[in-house]
Amino acid sequence: MSRRPTVAEQLARQGVSRRAFLKFCAAAASLMALPPSMAPAIAEALGKLRRPSVIWLSFQECTGCTESLTRSHTPTVESLIFDMISLDYHHTLQAAAGTAAEQAREDAMKEAGYLVLVDGSIPTRDGGIYSTIAGVTNLQMLKDALANAAAVVSIGTCAAYGGIPKADPNPTGAKSVQALMDEGLVPRKPVINVPGCPPIPTVITGVLAHYLTFGEIPELDSLGRPTMFYGDSIHDRCYRRPFYDQGMFAKTFDDEGARKGWCLFELGCKGPTTHNACATTKWNNGTSFPIESGHGCIGCSEPDFWDAGSFYTALSAPADPLTLATSATVAGAAIGVGMSFVNRAKKGAAKSGHETATLKDLEK
Amino acid sequence: MSGLEGIPIHIQTAPHAGANAQAILAELETALQALLDTGKEHSIDLRSLPLLPGELDYLQHTLGTGEVRVEIDALGKSDVRETAYRGVWWVAHYNTLDEVMAEFIEVSFCPDIVRAQRDDVRESLDALSARLAGNEE
Amino acid sequence: MNEVELLNWVRGPGLNIAIGIFLLGTIWRLFEIYSLGRKKDLSAPRHTAGASGWNTIARRSLAPPGMLKRSPISYIGGYVFHVGLAIVVFLFAPHIELIENLFGLSWPALPSQVVDLATVVTLAAMVLVLVDRINKPVKRYLSTVEDYFTWAVTFLPVLTGYMAVKHLLLPYTTMLALHILSVEILLVVLPFTKLFHVFTLFMSRWYNGQANAHKGVPV
Repeated sequence: MSRRPTVAEQLARQGVSRRAFLKFCAAAASLMALPPSMAPAIAEALGKLRRPSVIWLSFQECTGCTESLTRSHTPTVESLIFDMISLDYHHTLQAAAGTAAEQAREDAMKEAGYLVLVDGSIPTRDGGIYSTIAGVTNLQMLKDALANAAAVVSIGTCAAYGGIPKADPNPTGAKSVQALMDEGLVPRKPVINVPGCPPIPTVITGVLAHYLTFGEIPELDSLGRPTMFYGDSIHDRCYRRPFYDQGMFAKTFDDEGARKGWCLFELGCKGPTTHNACATTKWNNGTSFPIESGHGCIGCSEPDFWDAGSFYTALSAPADPLTLATSATVAGAAIGVGMSFVNRAKKGAAKSGHETATLKDLEK
Repeated sequence: MSGLEGIPIHIQTAPHAGANAQAILAELETALQALLDTGKEHSIDLRSLPLLPGELDYLQHTLGTGEVRVEIDALGKSDVRETAYRGVWWVAHYNTLDEVMAEFIEVSFCPDIVRAQRDDVRESLDALSARLAGNEE
Repeated sequence: MNEVELLNWVRGPGLNIAIGIFLLGTIWRLFEIYSLGRKKDLSAPRHTAGASGWNTIARRSLAPPGMLKRSPISYIGGYVFHVGLAIVVFLFAPHIELIENLFGLSWPALPSQVVDLATVVTLAAMVLVLVDRINKPVKRYLSTVEDYFTWAVTFLPVLTGYMAVKHLLLPYTTMLALHILSVEILLVVLPFTKLFHVFTLFMSRWYNGQANAHKGVPV
């Protein structure tokens, strides 16, 4: 087993001072949503860390997650983190390498304990033929990659919950990594879900940094998401929340309320049921997030967000049109009228069957 | 990124505008007391708070500018400024592209990042000793 | 099924089915009840002051003399929770949004703090009324399983709604799903239980008043 250098050794070799390392750790703590007082602990952990091998598998996806990550806004922290890991396979980034890339993947898989990152869902219908890489189905490739893996990080809503490929009617039989494990189709390993369409880049790196720094799975919620980033709903952290509580709502996207930045609940904002870090971490170098730009949250970090009714229907309104209402009304009226005839017939029968009682009858 | 200032956006704040900033100021008050009593340092990560648009500016304006300003050049710049309230420091870390990586308000007599680190000092000592012994080159 | 799938179901197919059954049951029962008819009263109508359907509606909406003192919890508690329910159901912004979506009607909402208060008062009044029903021997004797059942299906939507808003016990998404589900249960059972008084209350008061007014008796 070749000895990989520790991160501290790596940095020292690059001429990085302790002060710079301390700064990096402070930024990393902020990235991992840890209190700033954790920076020394991070420094200590990173000092001992050896560069783990990482295999990135892109399946049925749009490359948005990779785009999000590679265009993330804090190159120093991210590049340092990617200096910390040994990214041995990423077929989108290595497409030109062809068979050499596939060889690198197979080599990396020989040494157990690597981390598997997955973006995209996995098609299962018809033997999984709807998405293949170098002639291997996604399902087979995931199965092989998980065999010796330490853990798997499902990056993006597709890998975490099936996402858009799984949306109704799901023609390819797309499933999430967790679903495949639950059905026993791939080996069971610890899963960290980092959903979002795409996830916030600093959340991706923050989760990776946490796993690499502390060598353990962070605390997860019931849907497998790290609570440090997905612990609060958008609504609870939203700067427009006071407007909701005051009952001040934008009714259209260009009315007085919209211009004044009132709550977007009635315009279909899914903030109350969506768990993500957008309201605090924000996007594009902390510039803003969708609600700050005047558009409601679409709930992209939740399972089945694509099938949860219109993005512009309020959360308390019906997700689907009420198709049964008219026929139910007609059927109700028909039964009601029918019953009234039955009742009238009963009354009529009672009336005609009525016999006048005489004194003689009573004396019986 | 710099074009944002050119767009005349009129930001209207929520009915309770400044509540988050007020809470931070109260936290700083407690932290200063703790620094005097026990010497315990405190740090607030400004990136982890759901600040309203304009609240960061309000906070910066309220805390004002103090006497000390330190610029550190390590993996990009870092800007350490004492505020008008001595012992309260505004610390911004930039990357090599001059984008903000992390921003903190620290309460301490001197932020840790400014001090020379022990291991670095030891290395410097070794290097200097080696030089005096004529061992270099 | 995870909480989001549950929420999607109760907002979609679940709501569709519940409103379908509610409409079917309501229309059916209204038709059936009002088509029953009554025999024509052939006696000459008597006229007494204060004897009419409208008078009865007004009179029965107030406690009979002395009863308020004998059974304060029934009257005051009953009034409080009915008014509270009306405030919570019709003046909470997300509920108005639902009504607007269904019928196109909308009106201003109350601030959520006021609705919160109304909810707590409603819940307290409902618990008080239930305790009173269990404690008083006569009321307990008169109570059937249906009474407790209808109390529960009315209480649960208010409780789950409050817990959802306040993030109590379960995550908001789960609680919201349970809240909508509890309302759907209420909608489904409403036409087929005594909860149907929502529709029949004033009609039957008027009918009784009118029938007795014909005999010259103000009831």
